[in-house]
Amino acid sequence: MLASRHMDDRIMELYYRDKTPVFDIAAGLIPGEIHSSHGQEACAVGTVSALTGDDWITATHRPHHTAVARGLEIKQILCEIMGKANGLSGGKGGHMHLYSAKHNFSSSGIIAEGMGPAAGMALACRMQGNPGVGVCFLGEAAVNQGAFHEVMNMAGVYKLPFVCVVEDNNWGVSVAKSASTAVARNSDRAAAYNALGLYVDTNDPEDIHAAMSKALRHTRSGSGPVILELKTYRLQGHMLGDPQHYVPDEEKAAFRDCTLDYRAKLEAEGVLTASEADELQARVKAEVDEAVEFAIASPLPDAENALSGNFVDEITGRANI
Amino acid sequence: MKVTIPNDQWDEGKEGVIVTWIYGDGAEVEVGDVICELMVEKIQSDFVAPASGVLRILVEADSTVEPGDHVADIE
Amino acid sequence: MTSSRTLTMARAGREAVMWEMEQDPRVFMLGEDVYKFGGVFGTADGLGEMFGADRILDTPISETGFIGLATGAAIAGMRPIVELAFIDFIGVCYNAIVNLAAKHHYLSNGQVKVPMVLMLGSGGGYNNGGQHSQALHACLAHMPGMKVVAPSNAYDAKGFMHAAIRSDDFVVYIGHKKLSGVGFFGKPIPGTMSEIPSEPYTLPFGEAKVVREGIDATIVAISWTVHQALDAAEKLAHEGIDVEVIDPRTLVPLDRESILKSVAKTGHLIVADEDYQSYGFTAEVIASVAELDPTVLKSAPVRVANPDVTIPYSRPMEQHILPTSQRIQEAVRRVLSK
Repeated sequence: MLASRHMDDRIMELYYRDKTPVFDIAAGLIPGEIHSSHGQEACAVGTVSALTGDDWITATHRPHHTAVARGLEIKQILCEIMGKANGLSGGKGGHMHLYSAKHNFSSSGIIAEGMGPAAGMALACRMQGNPGVGVCFLGEAAVNQGAFHEVMNMAGVYKLPFVCVVEDNNWGVSVAKSASTAVARNSDRAAAYNALGLYVDTNDPEDIHAAMSKALRHTRSGSGPVILELKTYRLQGHMLGDPQHYVPDEEKAAFRDCTLDYRAKLEAEGVLTASEADELQARVKAEVDEAVEFAIASPLPDAENALSGNFVDEITGRANI
Repeated sequence: MKVTIPNDQWDEGKEGVIVTWIYGDGAEVEVGDVICELMVEKIQSDFVAPASGVLRILVEADSTVEPGDHVADIE
Repeated sequence: MTSSRTLTMARAGREAVMWEMEQDPRVFMLGEDVYKFGGVFGTADGLGEMFGADRILDTPISETGFIGLATGAAIAGMRPIVELAFIDFIGVCYNAIVNLAAKHHYLSNGQVKVPMVLMLGSGGGYNNGGQHSQALHACLAHMPGMKVVAPSNAYDAKGFMHAAIRSDDFVVYIGHKKLSGVGFFGKPIPGTMSEIPSEPYTLPFGEAKVVREGIDATIVAISWTVHQALDAAEKLAHEGIDVEVIDPRTLVPLDRESILKSVAKTGHLIVADEDYQSYGFTAEVIASVAELDPTVLKSAPVRVANPDVTIPYSRPMEQHILPTSQRIQEAVRRVLSK
């Protein structure tokens, strides 16, 4: 969680560099949009820590915490976000399209688009006699996208080893869940698919881990898919630059920070002393800072690379390039 | 061997058609090969060679047929 | 024993699918009505019995869902064939096709492959109405990341199906409904049926075929219009006009060189396509020739395509808008009379 948070903190700082005085989204070290994961780290750490190497993950347009939790190298993530040649995809994907084949990990910018593939990965595992599970991360607003319904239904019909993790931060860009979603809890929608619905509202990585383990046991046994709904908080707006004016002040004041809460819990339980926690935090910060420097210093890709990559056996359009 | 449309291939009173012969006259066929396509109303069905040998076509494609019709020989 | 068999396109394509499925347990088919029904256009006829419900997988009516599902299965090592019945339905699941299946290989910089085939039933001419009669070549060929093949005869149908299944790329395989030879379209068009070897064989993407050699004009046609062009050529031959007909077979990659070579020989270009005229295959062929070498053209190229209107139901109206042999002949005569 700390690594992810610090990475996102550095990304936030670097994002604004060179973009002002008149905000130019395309300028600076990190161009484009960034959907940071500040506040949702527990969701990733709690769930992903229960997975094995056989399992598959599809993540959203807000993928950083999930990628870090899965073990993708922070150096490579940062290089990709900065569009560098040694990024995960050589700069072709960028922040929303993080891929790591060896981690069975991909993320996508189209809402709910990860549903189909994660279920397909689950189907493939079963066809191959592999115990793997397909896990799709979604935001609570994405649950209203048609693909969610279609895929949950198929997962229910085929009894796929599939878990949909809904990270409920209450906000689909600027629209609160109560204004977009007909039910109070997305985990209740599981009934529509003959799926198991689980709900965790503590934003605590251990509680989340326990729920995910239960979900995995259920789905691996062939009992069908699971919707695991996690209440969490989106601390930095939909994307960097979004001041979240639409969030009522009382709600903002009630936001929780899982990195602070979990640290407090560990100290209270005597797992870590205050100074051990400080030390851990400093160590992680230093590692991430090193990765940042590495990424900043890394070269940009050759522009010509843009023209290849559509196909495994590459044929370029002969007349129009 | 006489190749006839089986009596229970389709309901009585309905007309069928030989849509196309997959093997030509004089071709060697094996038992189980699909040798022609039949059609009754909207349903297409495969007609399978009941024996192996040389196919002699007696009824051409586009001809209407009924169950029991002798459409070919397999020598 | 190699007896020559004359197969329809549907049968030839199915033979390829059957062979690949027998050889490679990773290949499986999914779509609506594939298992017991054999696919709405016979693409899976008999396969359910052979391979069972797990490998010929009936899906709910969830196109976005199952194209995503197939994409994920392909990424995880399977080789799915998705049966999407009508090409018109790509509207329902366009995102899954163009933003999902077609983009993963590029966006991952090759880490991820999507060895998937998407079968589509295309075309009209049998009064199925505006939402079930389209030939949406351009909407697919235009988007990067998918190979697109539209065979016009049984020999090509089988070879390209083998190639599509074996390819590690995402391949869209467009089968024209009226060319398929499936019973309820009436007698199969003779030109679509060919003698098919029983052994498997592949055909190369990006290689056009000169289906009729000629000297007076070049007609480039795809899918159903290939047969219209050949019929037009026969009629024109009686008038002493000798046209060359080219079937590119694959829209992506498109064999622009062969097309240019032909127009360099004849000097006149007519392009036929059942898709809507504007912003499509006909424009792509003409633009390519003009870009590569405008000096080969002795006359203005002509497009014979569906006009930019919704396809009407009533027979005289539908026949009026199709790129028939008649319209192609008129185009050739017009071009050569100038």
